[in-house]
Amino acid sequence: MTETHSIAFSEDELDALVSIAIRRAEILDDIQSPAASEAWQEVMLYEERLAMITPPAEIAGGVARVGAVRAALAAGRRMEAVRLASRYLAEEPLPPERRAAIERAFQEDRDRLAGRFPALARSGRLAELDEWRAIASRNPRVFPLAA
Amino acid sequence: MRLALQDLCLRHPVLRGHPTDLAKCGGLALQRSGHASPVVAGVDHDGVTATAEIEWLSQAVSVLEVLDSNRVTEDGAEAVAIAYANSKAGWVVKRRLQRGEFADWLLRSETGWLALEVSGTISGEPLARLEQEKRQVARCTLPAGRLAIVVAFDRPLIVAGGP
Repeated sequence: MTETHSIAFSEDELDALVSIAIRRAEILDDIQSPAASEAWQEVMLYEERLAMITPPAEIAGGVARVGAVRAALAAGRRMEAVRLASRYLAEEPLPPERRAAIERAFQEDRDRLAGRFPALARSGRLAELDEWRAIASRNPRVFPLAA
Repeated sequence: MRLALQDLCLRHPVLRGHPTDLAKCGGLALQRSGHASPVVAGVDHDGVTATAEIEWLSQAVSVLEVLDSNRVTEDGAEAVAIAYANSKAGWVVKRRLQRGEFADWLLRSETGWLALEVSGTISGEPLARLEQEKRQVARCTLPAGRLAIVVAFDRPLIVAGGP
């Protein structure tokens, strides 16, 4: 999280913000808007911030941790999702149900990608999508190598 | 039981500043079905029947021409359902849940937590819809009570039940 997002919000404020952001992201998803990815990044930031101020063993903390991972995946930021999941799964008090929910989020993302890119899924190359996304995020041009 | 939609943000502070005015959508959805405030709604909660008086600030129905009809129904149902959950057992909204949690809202009270799944219908059979919503919220794995509520605006009727 960058310095620009370091404003201290209370848990109640973050609950309100994440509620608004989730609603917006889901509506943008429903209409297949290209802005959905950015909206999910906003959700991820709020969930991550909530995870920082809530204990993993408590229901609010568990919801925020799974929410941060889910939002990162929905934003197409799989490496960020892996980083967050790794951090949260290392927290010993995180309940088994929340651990399973994180695993389920990744499985659902894999299923979603397999449905969207069946040829890559059939040839076992879905992981290449992460590399392509990483390249694309570093090179906002359509043809980075020709630039 | 009295469900005052105009007091929604007083009872659920997390809804303050929400760009979607759920209470307004609740009023619009009820007025669209020909009701005026206050209206007596039927309640069926796990087979136990009762009534609830729903009241709201009168809305200008002309805005319905520019609003998405389905969103008015769903957001209006959320207003009525959240008001019902509060009046019934003191549940207060904690936050909205992502779809992967299989419930729309997480609520809390002095006694614990509740995962709430909500749906609305303009007309049609709400009990069949309730069964769908109960199946959905049954998939929620959070250590919380689970409740599904469907609001049928034509009658009006609130049907609720746990999985």
